[in-house]
Amino acid sequence: MIIQKLKYFLNETLKNLWQYRIRNFFSITIICLSFLIFGVFLSLSNNLHYTAQQLSKNMMIIFFLQKNLPEDQRSLVEEKLKESSLIEAVQFISPEQALEEFQNSFPELRRIIENLRTNPFPSSFEATISEENFSSAETLAFIQEMKEMNGVEDIQFNRDWIEKMQSLSRLAQAVGFFLGGILVLASFFIISNVIKLNVFARQEEIEILRLVGATNTFIRIPFLMEGMILGILGGLVSLLLIFILIKFFPLYLGASLGVFSELINFRYLSLSQIIMLIATGAFIGFSGSLSSLARFLKV
Amino acid sequence: MRVILPPITFAQLRMIELYQIWKQYQPPRWALSDITFTVKRGDFYFITGPSGSGKTTLLKMILREIYPTQGQIIVDGKNVVRIHDHKIYKLRRTIGSVFQDFRLLFHKKVFENVAIVLRVIGISRKEIRRRVFNALRVVNLHHKMWEYPSQLSYGEQQRLAIARAIVNNPKILLADEPTGNLDPELAFEIITLFKEINKQGATVIICTHDRDLIRHFGEKILFLYKGKLIRKEAL
Repeated sequence: MIIQKLKYFLNETLKNLWQYRIRNFFSITIICLSFLIFGVFLSLSNNLHYTAQQLSKNMMIIFFLQKNLPEDQRSLVEEKLKESSLIEAVQFISPEQALEEFQNSFPELRRIIENLRTNPFPSSFEATISEENFSSAETLAFIQEMKEMNGVEDIQFNRDWIEKMQSLSRLAQAVGFFLGGILVLASFFIISNVIKLNVFARQEEIEILRLVGATNTFIRIPFLMEGMILGILGGLVSLLLIFILIKFFPLYLGASLGVFSELINFRYLSLSQIIMLIATGAFIGFSGSLSSLARFLKV
Repeated sequence: MRVILPPITFAQLRMIELYQIWKQYQPPRWALSDITFTVKRGDFYFITGPSGSGKTTLLKMILREIYPTQGQIIVDGKNVVRIHDHKIYKLRRTIGSVFQDFRLLFHKKVFENVAIVLRVIGISRKEIRRRVFNALRVVNLHHKMWEYPSQLSYGEQQRLAIARAIVNNPKILLADEPTGNLDPELAFEIITLFKEINKQGATVIICTHDRDLIRHFGEKILFLYKGKLIRKEAL
């Protein structure tokens, strides 16, 4: 019996959606655009978050040592680094190794280096830091402590720009939520108004249903389902557009952006984000419809 | 084994009771003034009077489409005025109505126009098919089941409205000018049909100003004039 009723309601809903298809098409388009803007920012945020995560995974702190540092003092620095629970691995880089690495990384500068009589690179320790300790206060305190240690000339820890990328990711997410929030609110009012128009257009039918003994729920369900379907369809179409955008937008911009191309290499939404988007669509549709029915459907 | 049925009380014999009903749409004119009458179970009533005498208002109040300004209406033992909005559907499911303007769903087929009454109750699909077919057969429209109301003639649309009113075997059948604009032959046919439904136990109230019909079929008649009940007649 329940299946039969559901089938009837679904049938009625689809018929009604088709009957007012132009009006419904526009409302789906607006919902879709709202979700598209939200989705693009979410995707951008995903990308920035991912990039920042990748960078922080391989984050290193380089401890440059003073020139001609005696062996015992160098061992003291090494021991201190190995003792720390914040450091995952420590590797000693001699001035020769540093020079070789530089020459390999920048072959065009090889000649300049060769013209120098002495090796300008100091010896150093490269310490890998675990991701969870990346931005902790303990790490900062440890670095400060090491700076004051004898034999340590300088410390290189490029934390700032990774943190900036993380903040940028958060900013993109916040902008997405803000703009998306406003547009989602707009979608709510659009659905509410579309349902209001549908209620007015079917006033006579509602009146007949009332007089033959239909309950309020029986009259309301098709309208609520209409709202939900509009919301879900808007969400689904926006997901499709996001997918197309992610697939073709970077190709369109081409490789001319060089190293920055990674930044526009949007990452597709995660499953939970997809479900959230569709569920939000359904919820907006349902609540928009409900608010309209509460105001305009006097049963 | 002998079955002893509980005695039928006088109250149980009454189907529709109106007590001092007053209705005002726009002051100072009263659409209905001080109407009191009782319709017993299984009665067949005509309500007659000139246009604007309050016939339709009276039917609308029995169906609780509108409220009286004053007075009480009891239908099948329940005070219609006091029934809560969300419970009014229970009353309406026991009443079949034929409206003056038919109130058909023109975007739905003949079958669906009748079936809707059963769908709101939640009757099975098989049963709906059976009952709708039977109701349409009674009004001789079963062969046009899959057509749209707009494809039917005026008389056929009227019969469709009747089929919708009787499909759920209602306790009460209210009809507002069911023969208006019909030729006398068809009008007689339709009232004969109402008589048949009445014989099966339904209480029937018909509003009409067709004197020929009243003369031919009328047993119990209420005369309204300018919102007042001026005569009650049992022929």
